[in-house]
Amino acid sequence: MFIQRYDNTKNVLDAARERISFLFDAFETIIVSVSGGKDSTVLAHLTLSEAHARGRKVGLFFLDEEVVYESTIRQIEYLMDLFPDCISRYWLQIEFALTNATSATETQLICWEAGKHKIWMRSKNACSIQHRMWSEKEQTVRDKNKGFGFYDVIENFERCFTGAAFLVGLRAAGESPNRWRAMVKNPVDVNGTPVFWATKKGKNAAFYPLYDWNFSDVWKYIGGKGLQYSKIYDYQFKKGFSLNEMRVSSLIHERSFKSLCELPEFEPKTYNRLCKRLKGIQFAQETGKSAKMFKARKLPKNFKSWVTYRDFLLRTHPDTKHKTIFEKRFLRHLDNEFVARQQCRQLILNDYENNLPVDNKPDPREELIRYYEEVL
Amino acid sequence: MIYLGLANNEKQAMVAEYVRERGIKKAFMLTPAKFAIECPVVEIIEYSSIIMYKTFYRLLQEIDGSTLVVINECLRTQNRNDLTYNCIRHFLAQTSHQLIFQYLPIIDGFNDFLSLVDFDTHSRWKRETNQTIIEEASIVCAEVAPIFNRVDIGVSDSEISSYENEKAKLIKNIGLKDPHTIPRNLYLISGKAKLQHIRSDRWYIGRNNRFKLSSFQTFRENKYPNAPYAVFEVCHNFIDFSDFLFLSGQSIFDFLVAGLKIDEWYFQRCLKWIEELKRVYSAIRQYQKRS
Repeated sequence: MFIQRYDNTKNVLDAARERISFLFDAFETIIVSVSGGKDSTVLAHLTLSEAHARGRKVGLFFLDEEVVYESTIRQIEYLMDLFPDCISRYWLQIEFALTNATSATETQLICWEAGKHKIWMRSKNACSIQHRMWSEKEQTVRDKNKGFGFYDVIENFERCFTGAAFLVGLRAAGESPNRWRAMVKNPVDVNGTPVFWATKKGKNAAFYPLYDWNFSDVWKYIGGKGLQYSKIYDYQFKKGFSLNEMRVSSLIHERSFKSLCELPEFEPKTYNRLCKRLKGIQFAQETGKSAKMFKARKLPKNFKSWVTYRDFLLRTHPDTKHKTIFEKRFLRHLDNEFVARQQCRQLILNDYENNLPVDNKPDPREELIRYYEEVL
Repeated sequence: MIYLGLANNEKQAMVAEYVRERGIKKAFMLTPAKFAIECPVVEIIEYSSIIMYKTFYRLLQEIDGSTLVVINECLRTQNRNDLTYNCIRHFLAQTSHQLIFQYLPIIDGFNDFLSLVDFDTHSRWKRETNQTIIEEASIVCAEVAPIFNRVDIGVSDSEISSYENEKAKLIKNIGLKDPHTIPRNLYLISGKAKLQHIRSDRWYIGRNNRFKLSSFQTFRENKYPNAPYAVFEVCHNFIDFSDFLFLSGQSIFDFLVAGLKIDEWYFQRCLKWIEELKRVYSAIRQYQKRS
C-alpha cells in the first residue's frame, strides 16, 4: 500500500531541480522526450539549464507524427535551438503507422510515407533524423497486424541506448490518481537509491521529475522565465476552454480527434493540408463533438438500441481485417446496452487497437429499473 | 472558518465587519448567481466561470495574502475532486482571509460536507473520508432542521389502478431513457390526486406549474416571497430542495402524501435525508467539542 507524504519544506521547482541534478550525477546519457506541450517545454528548459551549468550535453527526442499543429513544430524548433551547444537533436521523421480515428476506410496514416512527399503536411526538417537508427534485423514490432506503430518507434529508439535516463514531462498532481499510482508503483534503483518517480524500461529507465507539479506550477515557470510556448494554448484560452480541455496533442487518434473541431479556426493552413492528406477529416471536424457521432453518447434515431446499432456497424464494417478483430473481442464481452454503447464507440472510432477499452460489466440501468419496479 | 445556516443579511454583515476590521482592500465572492450578495469592495465571481482560464489565472494573480475570498453556497457537486473545487482550493492557498458560507452542510450524504472541510483546512487531508478530520476545521453552525408534517390524502381505487397501469407502461417503454424518469413521471400522476385537496388560501411548492395555479411556485425560482409553502411535491435532486430551503428561509412544511407508493417513497426518502442532515450536525458538534 502506498502512503502519500507531503514535504512542505521545499517547493516543486527546487525539488525538480534536485531530481534533475541527481540524474546528472547518476547517468552519463540523458535524453528528454518533448512533445511541444507546456510540460515538456518546462522539463526541457530545466534539464538544459542544468546541462549548460555543468557543460554537459543532453538529447532532445521528438517523434514527429507529421499530422501535428504547426505551432507544435515551431515550439520544437525553439526548444532545439535553446542551448545549441548542449543539445543532441533526436528529431525523428521516419515512416511509421498511426491510427486514424476519423475514417473507416483509411484507418491508418503512414507518417512520412515514401512516395507521398507531395502531400506530406510539410517538408522534413533539415536537422531531423530521416532514417531508422536501428537495423531492420533488430527492429521489433508489437503487433504485426497493426504494423510498425508509434510505440514501436519509441521502443526501438530507446533500445539504441544502454543505461540512459529518459526524462518525460508527465505530471500526476491535479491529474488522475490512476496515473499517480502507475507512475510510482515500480520504483527504480539508482545506485542504491530507490527512485519512486520513475519506471524501468529495459536497459534504461524513464524518469518524471515534474510528477508533483500542477497546472499553475508549469505556467508560473513558463511565465517567470519568459519561455515561448505553443500558440494553441492562447487560442484555447481565448475560446474559453476549461483547464482539463487545454491540451496540445496529435490530431487524429481516438483520444484527440476532438481538437479537429477548432483546427480551422486556430490553424487554417494546417487544416487545409490535413484535408488533402487524409480521409475523414472534414467529417470529423464537423461532427467531432456531436453526441450522436464520434462520442457515441446518443443513439441515432433509426436504431432502437445500442445492441442493434452495434450489430449494424459491425455488419457494414468496410475493413474485413479489423472487423475480425472486433468480432473476436466482442465475443468475450457481455451482451447488454451499457457494453454495446462502448462497442459502438470503438467501431466508430475504428479502435481496433483497443486504446479505449470496454468496461465489461452488467448494465447499471437495468439494476436501477428492477429496483424501481419492486419499490414503486 | 465555515459558517453554516446563515441568512443573507447575516452573511452581508459578517463580510462587512471582516473587511472593516482587517482593512481588506480587495475581496472576491465565489458564488452561484442566485445567491450573490452585494457587499462593499467585494467582486462577485460566478460559480460557473471559476474554471475558465480567464477567471482562474486572473484570480491567481490578483489574490494575495491581504485578499479576502468568500466562498458562498459553493457546495454544488458531490465530487470532492471536481475541477471547480480544485480551482477554489488554489485560490484559498494564497490567502489566510477566507469565509465559507453554506446553508446546509450536505447535498445527499455526509461526505459532501468534507468538500467544505477541504476548503477550510487548505486540503491538508487530501480527500480523506475519515470523519475525525472535521475537528481540524473551524465551524460555526446554526443548525437548520427541516420538519415535514405529513398530510395524508386518500386516493380512489381507480386512481390506484391507473397508477399501476402507468407504472407498467413506463417500465415497459423505458427503452434507453433515464431510469429516474420512472419515479419522476409516476409522481406527476399522484399530482392529479392531490390537486383536488389544495386550498386556495395557501401557497404550494412543486415540480412545475402544470396545473396553472396562481398560488404555486417551482423549485427553479430565485425568490420565494410567499412563505410558508406547503410541499405539493418534492424535487428528485436534493440540491434543488436545499436551494429552496435557503431562499425561502422556511423550515417547517406541510407535506402532501397521496396514498400511492410513489408518494410514500418520496416522503421516506426526504425523512432519510433529514436523518443524514442530523447525523452531520451531530458529528460537527461532537468533533468540534473535542477539539
